[in-house]
Amino acid sequence: MIQLYNVCMSYQKEATALTEFSLKVPKGDFLYLTGPSGAGKSTLLKLLYGAVKPSRGQILINGMNVTRMRSWRIPMLRRKLGIVFQDFKLISTRTLFENVAFPLEMQGKKRYEISSKVYQALKHVGLQGKLNRFPLQLSGGEQQRAAIARALVTDPLILLADEPTGNLDDDVTCEIMELFKGANARGTTVLLATHNREIIRRYPRRIVSLDKGRLVDDHTP
Amino acid sequence: MLQSIGYFTRRVGRNLRQTPVLCSAAIGTVAVALMIIGFFAIVVINVQQVAQQWSREIQVVAYFDTVPDSDKVQQWKTKLEAMAEIERVQFVSRDQAFKRFKARLGDDADLLDGVGTDFLPASLEIVLFEDHRNKIGVESVVRQLKQIPELADVSYEPEWLERFDAFVGLLKVAGIVFGGFLLFAALFIVSNTIKLTLYARREEIEIMTLVGGTPLFIKMPFLIEGALQGVVGGVLALAGVWMIFTLVLQEGLYGILMVTGTDGILFLSPPQQWAMLSCGLILGLIGSVLSLRKFVRI
Repeated sequence: MIQLYNVCMSYQKEATALTEFSLKVPKGDFLYLTGPSGAGKSTLLKLLYGAVKPSRGQILINGMNVTRMRSWRIPMLRRKLGIVFQDFKLISTRTLFENVAFPLEMQGKKRYEISSKVYQALKHVGLQGKLNRFPLQLSGGEQQRAAIARALVTDPLILLADEPTGNLDDDVTCEIMELFKGANARGTTVLLATHNREIIRRYPRRIVSLDKGRLVDDHTP
Repeated sequence: MLQSIGYFTRRVGRNLRQTPVLCSAAIGTVAVALMIIGFFAIVVINVQQVAQQWSREIQVVAYFDTVPDSDKVQQWKTKLEAMAEIERVQFVSRDQAFKRFKARLGDDADLLDGVGTDFLPASLEIVLFEDHRNKIGVESVVRQLKQIPELADVSYEPEWLERFDAFVGLLKVAGIVFGGFLLFAALFIVSNTIKLTLYARREEIEIMTLVGGTPLFIKMPFLIEGALQGVVGGVLALAGVWMIFTLVLQEGLYGILMVTGTDGILFLSPPQQWAMLSCGLILGLIGSVLSLRKFVRI
């Protein structure tokens, strides 16, 4: 599903974010990207959703070469991905329903289809009763659940999560992890960047460790 | 397609509802910018009208030593009126010239008492088309007239023509420079105001790009919104200019231009009013395009 070959990435000449990074992620895999701050986890995710281009190397996602992809095709790649961020990235002036409907609207889906899918997605994360609330009227955990609903509403092939539990307490973290587990069980490949060792211990999956932009460990406990 | 139009319309409506202050600011900016351009246009149009009136004075007169017979006059008239530069030709007999002179003297007309009515020469007064009422046009006509021996005694005031040409040239340059500057300033201000409205929605735009929105799909509602704000701004500007024209400008400008012998002060003609609305639409659209370039990056 995801293949990276000798990927190098640097933001400036001196600061290298990734060095000779290679990785293969089969379809349906669940892996943690872990390592200290500045290890290159977020850069790797940005490379995968085409926000930045590698200086060298090749990246293939579901057979598409992201490295050679023209910018007008990037939206097509992103439609196959679901992305979850630490800061949720919900639009504060839009209701939960409108926030979750966004990816479907961008794909030009019909209104009745959008209504039905958004309701199902919000029901799946337990927020069906708060359709018309605004993000700031919800707790952090609820906001992250809404962000996950938005990421999953298009039935993506891959779910990318960048420190999704970074701002949440332990109980809420467990709820969020259950949602990721569920998505993975339904066939979605999940890449979760975190430095939270507790969730890696409680939900053991393949672990890819990075340090200073290099792959230092890749094992499944 | 229809579905997309429906989506864009809903989004534009929602954006306008959700950020009324920013939308009003953008509309207000377009309106004020266009009002300034509108006032400038009214001044230019009326000064141009004065110049046009003055240009009616530009004519070439061919004098005759001896009065030609009417067949000959008719023959010349036909020949001259066939020339591209000439609008019409009028024969002025000695009697007509005398009557005109007498009328021009007004109260002093008695100076002519006892003078014969045939001391002024007969002439052909040649009026040029407006496009040719300049030094080049007049000199071209004079050159052609001088080829006809009977019409060789020509009068056309070259110094006045030079001054008139310089005035019209200055008017054109001033119009282009100031008009261009005002348009550029309006575009700059409108673009920055729209940039502010987009800045307030930057997180929304960022999320649109992250969830797979194509640049055109993301930009379209903002472009429609910009165009709409531009048109509404244009309508408000037109109403504002008309109101101030009626209340203040008409009288004020007439006071200034009255000495030039103008008939009255003109407002923008219907095509110029449409041009002003189009200008609003284009300002809103270009302002949005310029601002969106910075915000929509895949």
